[in-house]
Amino acid sequence: MNNSVPHIPIGRLLRSTTVGFTFGCSVPEPEVPLFGDFVKAPAQHGQSEVIGLISDILIEDDPFVRQLIAAPDLPEAYIQDQRKNRQVPIEVSVLTIGYRRNNAVFQELPPQPPMTLDYIQRCEPEEIATFTGSHDYFALIINTPDTSADELLPAALQRAAKARPADERRFFMLQAGKELARLLANDLPRLNTLLRRIQVIP
Amino acid sequence: MALELNKLTDQVSGMGETLAARSTELAARLPQAQAALKSMVDDDPILQRKIERALSFHWAGAIPTNEPVHARFPCPAHPERANIIAADGSQLYPNRHGIALYYLINTGSIIFPHGIDDAPTCASEPHLFYKNDDMYMGEHLIQGNLVDSQRDLAELRELARLTATEGESVPTLAMVDNGLLLYLGLHSSNQRRSDEILRDYLRALSEIHTTGAAICGVIDRPRAANVLRLLHVAELDKNDFQAEDLRQLGDYAQLTDRMLFESLQPGERSALFINASPENMEKYMPRGHKIMFFYVNTGSIDQPGILRVELPEWVAIQPQQLELVHAGVVEQARFGSGFPYVLMRAHELAVVTWKQRGQLEQMVAGSMLRSGVSPIISRKAQGKKWTDGG
Repeated sequence: MNNSVPHIPIGRLLRSTTVGFTFGCSVPEPEVPLFGDFVKAPAQHGQSEVIGLISDILIEDDPFVRQLIAAPDLPEAYIQDQRKNRQVPIEVSVLTIGYRRNNAVFQELPPQPPMTLDYIQRCEPEEIATFTGSHDYFALIINTPDTSADELLPAALQRAAKARPADERRFFMLQAGKELARLLANDLPRLNTLLRRIQVIP
Repeated sequence: MALELNKLTDQVSGMGETLAARSTELAARLPQAQAALKSMVDDDPILQRKIERALSFHWAGAIPTNEPVHARFPCPAHPERANIIAADGSQLYPNRHGIALYYLINTGSIIFPHGIDDAPTCASEPHLFYKNDDMYMGEHLIQGNLVDSQRDLAELRELARLTATEGESVPTLAMVDNGLLLYLGLHSSNQRRSDEILRDYLRALSEIHTTGAAICGVIDRPRAANVLRLLHVAELDKNDFQAEDLRQLGDYAQLTDRMLFESLQPGERSALFINASPENMEKYMPRGHKIMFFYVNTGSIDQPGILRVELPEWVAIQPQQLELVHAGVVEQARFGSGFPYVLMRAHELAVVTWKQRGQLEQMVAGSMLRSGVSPIISRKAQGKKWTDGG
């Protein structure tokens, strides 16, 4: 594993468990972080990398922000002050879907969660394509008690499809649909909803 | 056993009733004061003589200016582009029960670019005081009021630095969350240190003057009664009154100037007055920084929010600068629930939380250990930690 500081960290870890972790970041850029993004965090002193999906983005408020909400015609400078200068916490929740160790990918819960203040990075397209080469991680998403699971899986699959060449995307989604049909054979309404949402987006 | 709130029930109930009765009683006397202000004649030579006599008794009243005392001025237009700069300080006082004797002043500042969409520039600057000269006045440990004055000085120095760097390209208004008179330092038992602080404070005011910026001190919920003292002096029957006659406010006792000006319309300011306090007349005025003040309503008709705004004469006599102070305070207060936004932010940047205080204490302890000194708190402080859970 590479122990050096990642090139484009998007935040630092606040807290973690084996099944997921939360990181904090400054004001979101238009492209990061996004719901359904694949992210990674170092674990086991850099011996492994935990891989997860961004499952929620929480922008906290405080009394100062609340009183500004009611202000009429709020000039942009006040908004920029609140967004850029004040340390308004933005919390990003991640659902763990596997880990990587010694260049091998495991689609199961990691032996250890990442540590506080570790850098969080967005996964590169090649890493996403490699990780999503099999679909065992679907179970970790589908079985999560979080109600947004049925939103998260289609979003993740769209990211995974885009990480592949255009001529491979349709086949990738077809295989994903077959795996879902196997996992949700006893829950046809849910399967129907998910299948409708994993169409290939050009 | 901690505070037994159940034993306070009757006392708190009685307190509420007393406060309500006092409020009713004050409200009944307020119209008389408002009528007296309205009927006060400009350029009254008898009043002038009374004021001169009162000043000889170190009277802390208000001296009228060329503006009629009952005048009201609507909020002028804010310059389309201006820099509003604020600084605020917080302090950790010396703790003789702590691991070491030191104190801290942290100064927060913000440069708010009114009229453009850029984010303001924010900063905070901590300063640790620990040397013998910092901590001791002769044999005595530095008093809290001197630390407060050092903090006020740090705020003004920061404003002087920032107004100098911002230049004169756009109108610039500097603000502090306090009056501009250093009462605390002047009442200190250590006159030499007080004089040094005052000298440096006035020097910083002069530096701000040189930059062309305006400056004001903003006081929320002011308790001052300078204008009421003026009304009281005006109503004294005899012209040869004595100091004793000035000590009480007669019918205006316990009223405040804030109540007197609660009828200001939103955005309106009162007339300008000169602060007649001895500190101003004897220390500030001879050095070119006579402090004046007005009251302004930054609230609404239903809920007036009266702020006292203090400013040097060199700002007040320039109409454009006076308008910048008036409009700047009102505009900033629009986004701070009646109190200037930049002052709220400067405070936020300056404040030292309990958690940060603990972290600083750990840093100090580490430094002491590396230098071979054992960081030990007093037995009393240790006992408090055990019993207070802190």
